[in-house]
Amino acid sequence: MSTKYGTIIKDGLWENNGVLCQLLGMCPTMAMTTSATNGFGMGVATMLVMAASNFFVALFRNYITNEVRIPVYILIVAAMVTLVDLTCNAWMHELYKVLGLFIPLIVSNCLPLGRLEVFASREPVIPSFMDGLFMGAGFTLALTVIGAMREISGSGTLFADANLLLGPAFKVLETRIFPEDAAVLMMILPPGGFLATGLLIAAKRKLDLAMGKQIQMGGAHSVG
Amino acid sequence: MSYNSNKPTYVHAMILAAFSAGFGSLLAFTDLFTDEPIKQRRIEDLQNSLVQVLPPAIYDNNPALDTFMVPGEDGKERKVYRATKEGKVTGVAYETYGQGYAGQIKIIMGVDPQGKILGVRAVQHKETPGLGDKIEPKKGPWILQFNGLSIDNPPPNMWKVKKDGGKFDQFSGATITPRAVVTGIRKGLEFFSANKPQLLEVR
Amino acid sequence: MSVSIEKSGPFGHAQSSVSKTMSTVLVALLPATLFNVWLFGWPALLMFLITVGACIAFEAGCLAWQDRPVKSALFDGSATLTGWLLAMSLPPWTPWWIGVLGAFLAIVLAKHIYGGLGQNVFNPAMVGRVGLLVSFPVQMTAFVPPKPLFTDGAPSLIDSLGMVFGGGLSNMDSISAASALGHIKTELTKGVPVSESLPQVFDLTSMLTGMHIGSFGETSAILILLGGLFLIWRGVISWHTPVGLMGTLFVCAQISHMAAPERFASGTFHLLAGATFLGAFFIATDYVTSPISKKGQLVYGMGCGFLIWVIRCFAGYPEGVAFAVLLMNALTPVIDHHVRPRTFGRNSKGEPLSVKGDGK
Repeated sequence: MSTKYGTIIKDGLWENNGVLCQLLGMCPTMAMTTSATNGFGMGVATMLVMAASNFFVALFRNYITNEVRIPVYILIVAAMVTLVDLTCNAWMHELYKVLGLFIPLIVSNCLPLGRLEVFASREPVIPSFMDGLFMGAGFTLALTVIGAMREISGSGTLFADANLLLGPAFKVLETRIFPEDAAVLMMILPPGGFLATGLLIAAKRKLDLAMGKQIQMGGAHSVG
Repeated sequence: MSYNSNKPTYVHAMILAAFSAGFGSLLAFTDLFTDEPIKQRRIEDLQNSLVQVLPPAIYDNNPALDTFMVPGEDGKERKVYRATKEGKVTGVAYETYGQGYAGQIKIIMGVDPQGKILGVRAVQHKETPGLGDKIEPKKGPWILQFNGLSIDNPPPNMWKVKKDGGKFDQFSGATITPRAVVTGIRKGLEFFSANKPQLLEVR
Repeated sequence: MSVSIEKSGPFGHAQSSVSKTMSTVLVALLPATLFNVWLFGWPALLMFLITVGACIAFEAGCLAWQDRPVKSALFDGSATLTGWLLAMSLPPWTPWWIGVLGAFLAIVLAKHIYGGLGQNVFNPAMVGRVGLLVSFPVQMTAFVPPKPLFTDGAPSLIDSLGMVFGGGLSNMDSISAASALGHIKTELTKGVPVSESLPQVFDLTSMLTGMHIGSFGETSAILILLGGLFLIWRGVISWHTPVGLMGTLFVCAQISHMAAPERFASGTFHLLAGATFLGAFFIATDYVTSPISKKGQLVYGMGCGFLIWVIRCFAGYPEGVAFAVLLMNALTPVIDHHVRPRTFGRNSKGEPLSVKGDGK
């Protein structure tokens, strides 16, 4: 049993990473990674939604008929998103002010829906929950790294406003790497999202090659 | 997943309905619990932005809740937040707008009974990062220079950026944004002079 | 119609190669470049050398990293041309790092990530320029009025070195001025109609000769036109793209100008202002990123011209040549797909031509 969880964790974080391998969830990846903090916040919100919706779909998987499965999945994802949205607004308001506009967009993210279809509709509750959690963690990891790449080059800082997201104690994380005047603004504008994501995918493949792994080319079928 | 395609349609409909009802009530409960805190947060947000333009020392009421409407020169009603101390009006805050490089710039400003600016903040804008966004106090002290000024200080014809022959600095590379903010503030002050009795009336 | 069937071969060698084409283009650019070096002085020359040098260095670095032959590819002149065009589209007095960063964007991001010469979708020099413009709007719009070499007020070589490699110019704000297109756009946002602001900047002689404010290589309409005509005469480019571009831009601008002269500048102004000529003859005609067929090039040029007009008149930026060329680059495969030349031996619908004596 432990090998199975090991695979789930490894797949989610690296081998089958939602952003870097499946190329799913490109919309939040581009829109929310203008800073490492924003990427991290968006990733965590998505992770919560994914873990919860995987859990519910796995729980009810024997009652969901094939014909209505897609509406039911979307219903469950939308409910979880609204739950996160309301909770954030009420009790994590500073975070909500940063992410508020983008939390509803998680519904249109293909990654949660993809995991429901591929994993949670076939597997028991606990592995499904784990899959949602670690796919979400891998998503968070990718978004944070892309956010960091864009933030360093585009505004010259790293983890700016981390205190708004994580509490005043995290003010120490905020670092200025070079003065704002020298920052390449393009990187925090939309083209920077594509550049950083592309470079990160290339770097991951290079790393995989260096570790002697086979690379499967053109694995992505949908982008959303 | 079991293969169910032989079931009659109403079964699928019932399944969908059951899920909708279940998750719908879950959301209804969440809404019930979060409604009050969310309203509270909204008032706090408003208070936070009002504190920047109305110094807390000058009032003993809650300006976020003490509001009334005044018709502006364009016929539209403007919401005015009032600060009072011991029954006397000590300041008013209201919104004004400037046409920026990339759409409207929403400005909130506080003015004391003599018509002097207590504080100005651009609360919503889409100006270019690194260029036009120097109107934010986080990015520079530019917006603070308006404190203490009024419609006659500097004289009305100097309420312009330097490039247009006025008193206020533009930023290097960006003239449109500061011009929009200066114009917005000037209009805001004109609104104050035009409606002074109404704004300062005690009620 | 008769088609005589030839035996295979003998094949002659067409006297063209990448390096030959590139060097012809460089020769065509030379007069305008020399003139503008004189016009904007030492800082401009330094910026030009830095940008071209950085492009060559990045090209060599990328080739070496990919284990591809460095020397032969380096001397085909394509990196030199990219750097040259990039430098011509930058403001004349810029700090050194603008040129180096632009070269990085052009050569590494726009060219080698796509697979090197011939594989890139977008014009490398324009990717460099647009990337810089979006990232550093202050430096990229800091134009200076002409200060010809060896005249009063022109910076000496020593001053220029300090300007380009030091911390830039401290009083840049006071000497920098807006380009003609920029001036009209700013005045328009202030509510000054074009009919008032245009005469302040529009002087036909200075715009033809190049004695006006603009990017390093774009000011002299006559010299660029001469270079362009030279390229057409040598058969390096065909007339389709430049004529399509300039014709459409002129017609759009002129019609709108006649309808509302207080809002739109005239066609002549749009042709002579900004980078229209440079774009029409040297940038939009890039072999790699423009359509193959002559008809396709005409469509492509017209698209560029229309977009330049739209961007200049309605968008946030005053100049639109670089953006328009990049947008049309993206459409090039579509144009190539729809506007196909007639296949040899077939009619325009793709059916085989009837050959005399095949029984029909």
